Amino acid sequence: MTRPFLSIRAVRKTFGAFVAVHDVTIDVPKGEFLTFLGPSGSGKSTTLYAIAGFQDPSSGDVLLEDRSLLSVPSHKRNIGMVFQRYTLFPHLSVAENVAFPLRVRRRPDGEVKRKVADMLALVRLENFADRHPGALSGGQQQRVALARALAYDPPILLMDEPLSALDKKLRQEIQAEIRRIHRETGVTILYVTHDQEEALHLSDRIALFREGRIEQIGTGEDLYLRPASEFVAGFIGNSNFLSAEHLQTADGASTIRLADGSIVTGVKTTTSFGQGQKVRMMVRPEAFRLTPGPTSAALAVEIVDTAFFGDRRRVVARTAGGDEIDVRPTSDAKEADSTAPSGQRIFFDPASAFLFPA
Amino acid sequence: MLLDYDRLGWLRVALVGFTAAVAAFLLLPVVFIVLLSFGSSRWLAFPPPGWTLKWYQQLLADPTWIDAALTSARIAAMAAILAVVIGLFASFSLVRGEFRGRQVLRGLLLTPMVLPVVVFAIAIYAFFLRIGLAGTTVGFVIAHTILALPFAIIPITAALEGFDKSIEDAAIICGASPLQARLRITLPSIRIGIFSAAIFSFLASWDEVVVAIFMASPTLQTLPVKIWGSLRADLSPVVAAASSLLVGLTLCLMIVTALLRRKLSR
Repeated sequence: MTRPFLSIRAVRKTFGAFVAVHDVTIDVPKGEFLTFLGPSGSGKSTTLYAIAGFQDPSSGDVLLEDRSLLSVPSHKRNIGMVFQRYTLFPHLSVAENVAFPLRVRRRPDGEVKRKVADMLALVRLENFADRHPGALSGGQQQRVALARALAYDPPILLMDEPLSALDKKLRQEIQAEIRRIHRETGVTILYVTHDQEEALHLSDRIALFREGRIEQIGTGEDLYLRPASEFVAGFIGNSNFLSAEHLQTADGASTIRLADGSIVTGVKTTTSFGQGQKVRMMVRPEAFRLTPGPTSAALAVEIVDTAFFGDRRRVVARTAGGDEIDVRPTSDAKEADSTAPSGQRIFFDPASAFLFPA
Repeated sequence: MLLDYDRLGWLRVALVGFTAAVAAFLLLPVVFIVLLSFGSSRWLAFPPPGWTLKWYQQLLADPTWIDAALTSARIAAMAAILAVVIGLFASFSLVRGEFRGRQVLRGLLLTPMVLPVVVFAIAIYAFFLRIGLAGTTVGFVIAHTILALPFAIIPITAALEGFDKSIEDAAIICGASPLQARLRITLPSIRIGIFSAAIFSFLASWDEVVVAIFMASPTLQTLPVKIWGSLRADLSPVVAAASSLLVGLTLCLMIVTALLRRKLSR
């Protein structure tokens, strides 16, 4: 493996007795879009702020191309950053905001002008150069902040929940912009968010944080299709959890008994469970099929509620064991009439289910 | 809203009347002074028997009045500059600092505003007598700076509290040193607060009379002291003219402030 571009090594941050970040280690290759995903207080922002230099880690190191950043003050790290809050300089015009990092670097006037024009073109705000931040919408302000952060060609761009103050439609629009800008500039991006859809949409890899530790790191597909823990399965995408009892495992396929007594065989598992151990089975909503007849790996359910979302339907069903599950029948499948309240069975492929310790 | 102006009905008339009465109560004395300064009566008779500008001519012809006005302006300007500079440093530590006793310090810095002025005046006079600063410009400026400090600290801390520190962090990550970030980004962003601080501390010194009476010497008099002295010696309409000019200048400053604030906050 080639040496990592950015290396976060055993970074730990404590505030008094509280450990905000527990020995987080990540290697980031050049050009990657890596997202720190996690609930608030999981240590993702603290880790980002350690890279920016606004927080000194209690121990550990941050290396950029093998050189430690920790002894370098924030303003000399040459890192770009977009903040959660609007941080444009209120007394400067859009163009002057973008020019600011170049001016403090004493770049010649001609270069500053050219670079500002390039950056405003990159974020498609050429016509706003003379406006002041107060006259811009939130989305425009964050795009200018992005232009400003990229104006000095930083090797790394840090983004701390830059879209959390925007409404959903605008968020999606700017996500597309960020993807395009990442493609066009090839800058290495570390992105913090608590929104799993945003993380899946944007990232090459996602590091899922939980209580100051990385629970799992991998591509969106890895985390969605191969969750390492119940927490990951619950955080990424929608998931149903059913209580069960483990009976036996052979060749990575387990047999379990669900709460209603039905036996399911062939459930994929990577952990070893003892006989009779309580487990939790996770099945994605789209892995369920409604079916009227008896099938193997099928559960008798009652339909509690159905809702229509245009491209899909959402069905809430209740098992005989009392678990409520969320089913997303794809609209192309010729399935049973999901409006019939009872006598339904749901079928799922046991190979698409996961077992976690209860 | 409970007290929506549009829904008050006949109460609106009462409200307007009451507001007018309060405004008149506040303004009438000033209006009287201004009218008297143009009146021809030597004895400040009202209504004036005729109109004249001679009191203003006398005022402007008398070098002691001009001197007093210039002294006032000089002391007020120096006190305002010092109060703003000290107020800036104090505000940064009050707003950004994380030390014990921050609120106590804030209270302490604001006491000149609530302390009876005469108590402060006697105390500082006694102290300055001992160290030889009484009757000097330096003593005057120090005393007025202390009085003006709360008027500088209040608008600057308010502006600084309204300024998101992330903006300063953004400037730093952009490559500005912490000092550069404060000078080039934070100070311009809170300039309305700084400007208000300068005006208010100037005015705090400009129209201050109690401390000034203690600090003054026969050769060092501010305008309010001169007015006070003339009032006691002979009640001439020149005093009314001087007072009118004092009010006029204060009014001008307030109007300029309002206009500049509007321009800056756009």
